[in-house]
Amino acid sequence: MIEINNLTKSYNGIRALREINLRVEPGEIFGLLGPNGAGKTTTIRLLTGQLRPDTGQARIFDRDVFMDKEEILKNLGVVPEEANLYERLTILQNLKFFCRLYQVDYTRIPEYLEMVGLLQEQDRQVKNLSRGMKQKVLLIRALLHDPEVLFLDEPTSGLDPGSASVIHRILQDLNREGMTVLLTSHNMEEVDKLCHRVAFLNQGQLVEQGIPRDLKLRHSRQQIRVVFQEQEEVIEELLDLKGKESAEIIASLIAEGRLKAIHSQEPTLADIFVEITGRELD
Amino acid sequence: MPKFARITAVFLKEIQDIRKNPNILVMYALPVLLTLLWNNIMPGMPPGMALSFGLLFLVVMVGMYVPSMMIAEEKEKKTIEVLLLSPATPAEVIIGKGLLTLLSIIMVAIFLVLITGNQLQGLLTILLATVLTSIFAIFVGMIVGLLAKNQMSTGVVGMPVYLLLLIIPQVAEMAPGAVQTLAGFLPTYHYLLILDSSLTAAAGQARSLYNLSFIAFSSFIVFLLLLYIYKIKGLKN
Repeated sequence: MIEINNLTKSYNGIRALREINLRVEPGEIFGLLGPNGAGKTTTIRLLTGQLRPDTGQARIFDRDVFMDKEEILKNLGVVPEEANLYERLTILQNLKFFCRLYQVDYTRIPEYLEMVGLLQEQDRQVKNLSRGMKQKVLLIRALLHDPEVLFLDEPTSGLDPGSASVIHRILQDLNREGMTVLLTSHNMEEVDKLCHRVAFLNQGQLVEQGIPRDLKLRHSRQQIRVVFQEQEEVIEELLDLKGKESAEIIASLIAEGRLKAIHSQEPTLADIFVEITGRELD
Repeated sequence: MPKFARITAVFLKEIQDIRKNPNILVMYALPVLLTLLWNNIMPGMPPGMALSFGLLFLVVMVGMYVPSMMIAEEKEKKTIEVLLLSPATPAEVIIGKGLLTLLSIIMVAIFLVLITGNQLQGLLTILLATVLTSIFAIFVGMIVGLLAKNQMSTGVVGMPVYLLLLIIPQVAEMAPGAVQTLAGFLPTYHYLLILDSSLTAAAGQARSLYNLSFIAFSSFIVFLLLLYIYKIKGLKN
């Protein structure tokens, strides 16, 4: 569905992307994870034909992004990081304008506004909306022409948990209906919750990619943290997952009624990113 | 080929937007207020002079300011990015904005004629000259919009051009020599001559035809310049 081969892009001699290779399968939610300046937005801009790469190729629907841009854009929805709506127009006027551009009727507007809880607000000027409301309008705008693929650049950055949760739910619903989603984020919880596969971008390089669960297993230290009672004190101890000894300790703690809790030491995606790059995600 | 439906979409959006944009509404109000002022308050103003100045001010200031602000704002607020990710082409966006400016100028021009109550000798010539000069001004305004990074900088980029096209034609008759020679190259000077001749019947039709041809030729040259600058700069910063 989406294929990037050896994509490289420089700005003023500084390499923003270095030989990126990735593939997003149909029906997948794919997350591009990385800190600010890692090259996430550049990747989206290259994939939407807004930028030309120095070298390499980007293909969507088996078509070259730069050769068949018009055809590709017809089936592509884009939610940019910035709320680039017409501020003096109302929500409804903004959405109707894009319906006219795509030459689709207005019938889906009320349905989508209802879905994000903005039907009652449709006649409010965009400049009077909260950040979360604007983000929901951006999402609807990207869906009006019923695209097969949706790109989202930091879709919940700076949003309150309620608005973020609504957007997550909608993305999951759309994906269940068959939409392919590529999103960028520096929020590892969001990516972990939503994405079937993720890729880590750091300083323009793709340093790791895979299924979140597999990545966590691959980078796991194979340990568990055991919390147990020792006379008057509660003690925590790390035990290796491999070997008979750990099993015997846990069995005896259970038998003696002293075991309080067992915690998995599985790393988060953010932990893995730090381990690989030595950098924090935020 | 630009699609009429998408040009109409941009046109309708701009109508909705302009109605809530005080910066642009002021530009439409100014020529009306100035014309009323010259027509009713200034003593000894020759007949038709207030309308001439009002129309010149309308065509230059609205014609250049409105499209330059529209384009610069799209760039500044980054709405142009999503517009260009839609099926709309840059040509459709620019035509939609230009068409709204042109039609609004014609409407205000008719209003100015009505409120001044002038007896016009060559209404058709005035209308044609107003349309042609407006097209010239709109192309210049679009070039300013393409060159400016944001709305603020449209003033820096455009003001010298606006003043040149607005002031020089008005002082040309009073300052012969270099100023008059310079004015001869400005389509707004030729526009003013057409207005004068139509309002005072001072010059013949043959002269107006020359003036009209000059304005049309200037519009064509500026259109080529607009295409060239668009090719270099594009619609984005």
